[in-house]
Amino acid sequence: MRIIETRNLIKTYGGRHENDGNAVHALRGIDLDVEKGEMVALIGPSGSGKSTLMAILGCLDAPTGGSYTLDGRQVEGLAGAELAAIRNEKIGFVFQQYNLLPKATILRNVELPMLYAGVSRRERRERALDLLARVGLPDKVNVLPGALSGGQRQRVAIARALANRPALLLADEPTGALDSKTGQEVLDLFGELHAQGNTVVLVTHDPKIAALAERRVELRDGLLWDGEQREKAAA
Amino acid sequence: MKPRGRSGAFLERLHEAWIELRENPGRSVLQALGVMLGVASVLGGFSISDSQRQQTERLFARLGGVDKLNVLPTDTVYDGKPGALQSANRGLTLQDATEGEELGREKAVNATSVQKDARARVRSEFADREHAVTGVGADFVALNGYEIEQGRGFSSHDLATGAPVAVLGVQAASVFFPTDPPEAIVGKPLRIGDVPVTVIGVFRERSFRFREDQENIMAWRNRIVAVPSGLVAARMTGDPYHRVDRVTFRIPDLAAMTDFSRELSSLVTGNHRLQSDFRLDDVAKRMEKRMSQGAVYNLIFMLSGILALLGGGMVNVNVQLASLKERVREVGVKMALGAPGSEIFKSFMTEALLLTLLGSVVGFALGILYAWGITRIIGVPLSLAPLSFLWAILLAAVFGFLFALYPALKASRQSPMEALRYE
Repeated sequence: MRIIETRNLIKTYGGRHENDGNAVHALRGIDLDVEKGEMVALIGPSGSGKSTLMAILGCLDAPTGGSYTLDGRQVEGLAGAELAAIRNEKIGFVFQQYNLLPKATILRNVELPMLYAGVSRRERRERALDLLARVGLPDKVNVLPGALSGGQRQRVAIARALANRPALLLADEPTGALDSKTGQEVLDLFGELHAQGNTVVLVTHDPKIAALAERRVELRDGLLWDGEQREKAAA
Repeated sequence: MKPRGRSGAFLERLHEAWIELRENPGRSVLQALGVMLGVASVLGGFSISDSQRQQTERLFARLGGVDKLNVLPTDTVYDGKPGALQSANRGLTLQDATEGEELGREKAVNATSVQKDARARVRSEFADREHAVTGVGADFVALNGYEIEQGRGFSSHDLATGAPVAVLGVQAASVFFPTDPPEAIVGKPLRIGDVPVTVIGVFRERSFRFREDQENIMAWRNRIVAVPSGLVAARMTGDPYHRVDRVTFRIPDLAAMTDFSRELSSLVTGNHRLQSDFRLDDVAKRMEKRMSQGAVYNLIFMLSGILALLGGGMVNVNVQLASLKERVREVGVKMALGAPGSEIFKSFMTEALLLTLLGSVVGFALGILYAWGITRIIGVPLSLAPLSFLWAILLAAVFGFLFALYPALKASRQSPMEALRYE
């Protein structure tokens, strides 16, 4: 089964018409397929369109053209509230800066996606406790994020990302703010989640991290740079 | 998954809003300041003007109620010589009173009072003075708010026959019988003009002060020397026409007042050869006029409250927008986790609602304190009406809601991606 399927995905910033010279073409026709249970690393230098692709895959932004199907649902052309529902239901985000709500307890942070999904209070609590135990933080339930170390915060963020059993885990430089040891622990956790059958897309600029993934997709100047093209470039 | 338990979602938002307010006390107080001042101003102002009005109502109640229509004689000739009809007129007479009562029987007139004034030499064992004497008829005592303290009042027999009896106000009693205790005055003789009368009773002391430090504006009523009006007409002024100085009708049904006063006016005009030598004094209307001044004050207080709410609302918007910058990222995170714009909007509105409620509670306390202070200074008892509270919180709610809209909309319409990238 296919989780991500994009066809000729285009994203253009600025520019009033199609051939406007001022327009920035961040994505210029991406065809990307990710199968269920895959772990894919999305790599590329800064300015390659990595972040833009990640935003569109995460339904945080809408493409200018092309089609995107996520877990069987047509995404392009949907309005804000529908995109929010898809984000809530199908995507778990892990950010470089953790992005935990500083005034909410760890438990509440993990409960939040379930709150938006309308899960009952009791089930929310049960699932959040279960998830926190799974990422190795069963005893930090009622503390604020500020009291945790970076690695711990990222674990909480991962627990939160898993809250609604998403079809896709989308991680944007998840180890970027961590030292190499805790970074490795977080990566191990991702490996574990992958082994349990989760679909993971890892955005990174670090080739060592990308090497952990079973498939690497490289982005250059808004286009996928696969093996074939690499050969052509070499020739 | 469908959202379940709407009230549960509201409680969650309320809880979150409470945490937000608690964690930012400075900002919250600043935001609530406008609500506090507005509510305090409206509630305090309304209560002050309410207290004043209550005091006015009390005054009119003490004067014998507002449901009264007075008929008073006036001068017919202001300038020049009187015409033949004018000189032939005898002014307001007992006939006007009895016919008026007859007329008003269907119009719910339930009491009529007649007053005939005279000045006479009044003598007791202790004093001998020129003094005002009030000839009273029918329901005068009740209609003017007098009560008997000692002895008895006039019987219908006394009034019908013009019996030589008198009832004194407390001050008159102490003038003519300075050494006697009130109960001993009853039965004492008094001479009014050439007529010997017996004191049969003493009125209860009348007292009313608008403010505590002001003089008793009813003191003159304690000086009354009341005798039956028939006695004055027959034996003091010797008036065969039974002219009177004031006729008062009581009409508990104020709606019937307008009709009755019009008909009465045409009746009396007819009796007086079509000369308008009298005037009607509608006490209810007089009080209404006094009250309408209160309404103007209420409007002013409400306006100043609205101004405070407006100013506060603008501060609120500013603070909200400034704080929004700190919270953009938080909003972005919530959106990324699947909160739709409507959820963000609701959470901001819930915060505003909570803030308005808390601000209103503080505003109530401030308003009561303010009204209490002012009414103490002017010496009027404080009266708090539920309606004032309602107005205050209603205005606060409306302004709280209106001024929360813009920041909440702005927050909810952010693009999640830009919000997440915001540093």
